[in-house]
This record gives sequence, C-alpha cells and structure tokens, in this order.
Amino acid sequence: MVGSKFFNWCLYLGLMAAIILLLTWGKPHKIVGLFFVSGLAVGSLYALGGIGMVVLYRATGVLNFANGAMGAAGVMTAWQLGEWGVWPPLTWLSAIAVALVLSVGYGRFIAPALAWREPVVKAVATLGFALIILGLVSYLWIDDPRKFSLPTDKIGVRILGLRVTVTRLIVLAMSVGIVVLIHQYLTRTSIGLHMRALANNRDVSALIGIPILRTETIAWGISGVIAGFTGLMFGDLIRLEPTVITFMVIPSIAAAICGRLESLGLVLIGGLSMGVIESLLTLSPYLKSVRPIAPFIIAALVLLYFQRGRRLSFGGAD
Amino acid sequence: MKLALTFASVLALGAYAIPSQAEAAPKCGLNTGQAATGKPIIVGGIHGNAAPGDFSASTDAAKAYFDCVNANGGINGRPIDYRVENDQWNPELAAQAASKLVKDAGAVAMVGNGSFMEMAVNAATYKQEGIMAMASACAISECFESSNIVSTNQGPLPSNLGATQYAQEELGTKNVGCIGLNIPNNGPWSCQVSIDYMKSKGGDGSMALLNPSAPDVNSALLEAISNGADTILMNLPAGLAIAVLKAAEEQGLRDEYKWIAPTPLYDLSVPKALGDYWDGHVYVNAELAPFQVGGPDAKNWIEVMDAYAKPEDPRDTFAQSGYLSATYFTKAMLEMDPADLDDRAKVTAKIKSIAGYKSDLMCGPYYVGDADFHMPNHAGYMLKIENGGFTIVRECYEFESAYFDKHIALEKELGLR
Repeated sequence: MVGSKFFNWCLYLGLMAAIILLLTWGKPHKIVGLFFVSGLAVGSLYALGGIGMVVLYRATGVLNFANGAMGAAGVMTAWQLGEWGVWPPLTWLSAIAVALVLSVGYGRFIAPALAWREPVVKAVATLGFALIILGLVSYLWIDDPRKFSLPTDKIGVRILGLRVTVTRLIVLAMSVGIVVLIHQYLTRTSIGLHMRALANNRDVSALIGIPILRTETIAWGISGVIAGFTGLMFGDLIRLEPTVITFMVIPSIAAAICGRLESLGLVLIGGLSMGVIESLLTLSPYLKSVRPIAPFIIAALVLLYFQRGRRLSFGGAD
Repeated sequence: MKLALTFASVLALGAYAIPSQAEAAPKCGLNTGQAATGKPIIVGGIHGNAAPGDFSASTDAAKAYFDCVNANGGINGRPIDYRVENDQWNPELAAQAASKLVKDAGAVAMVGNGSFMEMAVNAATYKQEGIMAMASACAISECFESSNIVSTNQGPLPSNLGATQYAQEELGTKNVGCIGLNIPNNGPWSCQVSIDYMKSKGGDGSMALLNPSAPDVNSALLEAISNGADTILMNLPAGLAIAVLKAAEEQGLRDEYKWIAPTPLYDLSVPKALGDYWDGHVYVNAELAPFQVGGPDAKNWIEVMDAYAKPEDPRDTFAQSGYLSATYFTKAMLEMDPADLDDRAKVTAKIKSIAGYKSDLMCGPYYVGDADFHMPNHAGYMLKIENGGFTIVRECYEFESAYFDKHIALEKELGLR
C-alpha cells in the first residue's frame, strides 16, 4: 500500500516535471524563472484553498464552496480598516477573524440542519452561502479601483537572479507549514482523532459518543482561518476583487480533487503544479489559450487514474 | 464603501440644503423653469450592473439630465419618460430588457446605454425595429460597427490608439505590448489597431490576452515582456490594470518599460490606489475632457448631477458621456416638429441626421450619419498620473489610423471637414 502510494507520487511528480520541461524547452532562463515564480505563488493559493476544503470535508463531509467568499469578505474588511487608519496588524487579523466568524457561524447554525442530507445538497448549500456573502460584499464595497498591500511586498530576495518578495515566500512556506501542522494535529490530538473518526463513519462516531458538534465546529474554525489567510494573500498577490477571490474556490476544488479530498500532501503538490503549469502554458503560442482549464484537466486526469474501479470522491462513501 | 458613501451623502445633503438656492442653476433643454406636463415621450436605456462591474453611471447621468429637462419645459411641454433596465451582464436579460423597452413600451429611442453585453445582443434588434441607440458606455466592436448604435464614448480601440500614438511620438516607444481581455469583440479587436499603428511607424507590437476569469494577471504581463515590448499598454478595466501595475512593482519593472493605458484608468481613485511608486510614470488617454478643463458643458454637467442625480452617483467619464448623449438627444428632439415626436421612424431619421453638435466635453463634433458604423469621438487628451492626480500632457489630438478612413470620409460627406 505504502509502495503503491509512493509510486503514485513519483509518477505524478515525474509527469509534471516532463510537462514543465516540454513547455520551457529552449526558452530563456530568466523568462522561465519569472513564469515559474509567478505560477508557484498562484499554485500556493490554490493549494491553501484546497487544504482548507479537504480539512473540512474530512471532518464534516461538507465540500465548502463558500471558502473563497469568506476570504473575500475578510480581505475587503482588512482593506477598509486600513483605509480608516487602523493599525495594520489588526487589519490583517480582522481578515482572518471575519472569515472565522462566517465559517463557524455557518458550521454552527446552518450546517447541522443539513447534517443528514446528501453531500451534494450540503455542497450546494455552501454555494448559496457564498453567493449571499458575495452579494453583501459587492453591496458594501461598490466596484472601484483598489489595491491591498502588505509590508512584505517591499522586501524581496534574489533567487537565481529573480526578485521574489517575502509575501510570496510566506505563502509558499505557509502552504507547506499548514499541511505539516494539520497532519500533526490530526494524528496526535484527541480532536484530530475525532475528526478522523467522523471522516471514516459519522453514524458509528455518533454512537460511540464522539462530540460531533464540537469536533465539527473546530473543523469549521480551522477551515475559516485558512480561508481568511488565503483571502488576505490572494488580495495582495493577485487582485483585490471580491468576485475573483470568491471564485478562486473553483481551481481550489481542482487541487482538492487532486488529493482525492483526502491527502493534504497531494493537495499541496496538486495545487503547486497546477499553478506552475498554468503559468508556463503562457510560453506556448498554441496552448496559452487553454490556460484557465489547465487545473481541471490535471484534476480530471488524476481522478481518472485513481478512479480505476474505486469509490467516487465526491459522494464520499459508496 | 457604500455605508460610508451613504453617510457622507447625508452629511452633504445637510450641508448643501440651505445654500443650494445660491448655486448656479443648471441649463437644460428649453430652460423655462416650468415643469413639463404634456404626454410623456418614452425613451429607454439599458446598463449593466452586477459583479464584477457597474456601468450604470451613464444612465444615471442621462436620467439626471432628462429630469432637469422635464423641470424646464420638457420637449416643447412634453416630459421625457426615461425607463432604465439592468442587463446584469446576462445576454438573456439584455434581450428581455430591449424587448420590454422597444417592443412593449414603444420607446422612440434608446439613450445612455452602457454595457459589455447588451450591444452585442441587441444590435440586430435595434436595426430590425428601426430604433437608434445613443449609447454612452460602450466597450465592444458591435457598438461601433452597427447601423443603429452610436456612442459618445470612444471605447477601447481609439483610446488605446491615442495612448500608443502619444507613446510612439513622445516617449520613444518602438514595441508595444497590449494586455487585453480575451473577448473577441473587445481585447483582440481593440489591441490590433494599436499594433498596426506601431508597424506603420516602423515599430512592432503584440498582444497578451487575459481570460477575464483568470486570477493570474502576472502571466499576461510576463507574456508582454517576453514578446519584446518596451511599452506596456494596459487595455483593461481599472481593477485589472492596477493588478498588472502591482505585479510590475513587485518585480521592480517600472523604469525598464513605459506604461500607458486607455480611459478606464482615468479614475480619480486610481492615483491613490497605485501609490507613490507609480507617480509620474503612468500615462492615460482620456476620451472626454478631463475634469480640470471645466468648459461650460463640463460645469453644467456637474450642476445637473448635483441638482438631479443622487449624491452617490459617480461623476466619471461614463457619467459625462451619458450626460452628453442626453443633451444631444434633447437638442435633436427640440429641432423636430412636435407632431412627429411619437413617430419612431421620424425620430430615428432625425438622430441619423445629427451632424456638427459641439460640446467642450468632446474634442471633435458629434455626428451620426446613415452608415453601418459610428464612431464620432476619435480624438482625446493625454494625461499623466502625477502628484496624486492627473495632469494634461497633451491637449485634444486626433488619432491616426487607417481604421478611421471611412469615418473621415463620412465626416467630409457631412461637411464636418
């Protein structure tokens, strides 16, 4: 089993490396480097979004489409507080706090009412919640040119002749760090054990006395914090537009599917490789127009590979 | 933020409630000071307002002007019943809106339209129904290459060209990289003329097209650079252009390239959003008179907006354009025989006969003409983002391109040249 997993990882990484080599063959080193660094940042955000979704899905069975909208509400709040002259660290914390409150609020008051419904119904309910948040955010912050910056944008380091800002390094480091931390949390704490039990069988977990509501609320909280952080980074590194941030959830789902809604490590690798390949496709005059669908093609191929005679990923258990 | 705007509006209303009597009254239509009470003349307008963009400024301004006209004698005593629909960027809703206004309500003309969507959907309907759309916030080719749509704004093609022409003549541009939206009737259409212009001057150009839903604008910037551009033309809505400039700032690319943009970046909130880093380094083309020019029409526009629009309605280029379309329509209606005002065919014929209307908001004369193309506004100003605002670096100048040959021929035919 372990050998098979290792083979799958190696196969995926080998394929990605081959595609990257193919796309960058004969191109100037500096240009390739610029696209690679750019793709890595976007990929980190896809991965972060995907990680938040998988953590929640594993504990609650809910595929949360509202992750992006929660992040958008958070970063818009941070921007607004910044405009009002609030101390910057407080504005950053406010972004995470807003996403946390939205996530826990949904998890505590709405999600329990849908606990025994089909996974698709739960997922669609979060989509409705995402649209409500997006509507409110669009109402509060009318369409206007805005920019959100962090002080770490001003600090850069040279890597192979390329300027890489500390913000980009933070995103990359956080995406790796969060995977490690959550893995440790799930394997070494009692709440982590409860979450894994819920992921395996909700009915049996309830029967043996696992505090479902408490465990799920913590999962919603972790997911909300990740969504808030991702929104903050997205607003800084990509653009401060609520709609774009809200629908960032779509490539994040592709990253989550890469990890089959289970493996955080694969979500990370999937997200990073999707971002890099999407960016490097720009170098091909023939393939650059298919850039936006690249994450989904990768996710579909991964799904098909893993799906050989096995269970459906979306439905959870069948 | 809307909350803040609303609060500010309440304060502003309070502050202006008493002295408003002393302010200059706007001049509209017959300017009689008497409200029009006759049978209303139905006029339609369609805008797009939904995430991610709001194009309602044009119809807001047109409505403000028509309200002013109605309070000042209307069209020979008849008020304009201006009915506005929102297409919400949805083709189906755009078609429904046109059907409701043109077929059901029997509008005699459409005025102030502003959308990415409705012109592409409804151009054929307007032609079929024999109605003219005097649009104000157009961004796609159908708006400028149709028989029954004419816009006071330029759209991206001339504004891009104006920025490119200035950069080639004044900034030493040899190779322009146009970053546009990957929408066939917007990005490629409007970038190509600037590339052709550069080639006609011995230079070169390329386009990097961005999928509107793609989050990563950095790749488009890098593509433009890898194509060998020395000047980056940001043919994008302001939010996306700011994202491109932020990506360039991160890479420290400011001084290695020249940075130009069409009108969407002419927004008073842009210099602040860009910050000090870009001060003095970004050039923007303005398709209508910049706010500091302040001619009689520019002042009247502000007075109309202050008196008849909501305080939170934008005072921007699209609002200027909506105001202008409404003034030209009103002028044309006042020149008609009052007995013909409900006859759509005669109203359309009158609009098509418009030639030589002038305003200090536009560099050239406004005209319509009986043609399958309409782009009366193809001259503009060039501005530079400087000291937290915009300074004019070139006054009204006409844009050069073979694309305008047919427009110039029409202008000669109408006696405007």
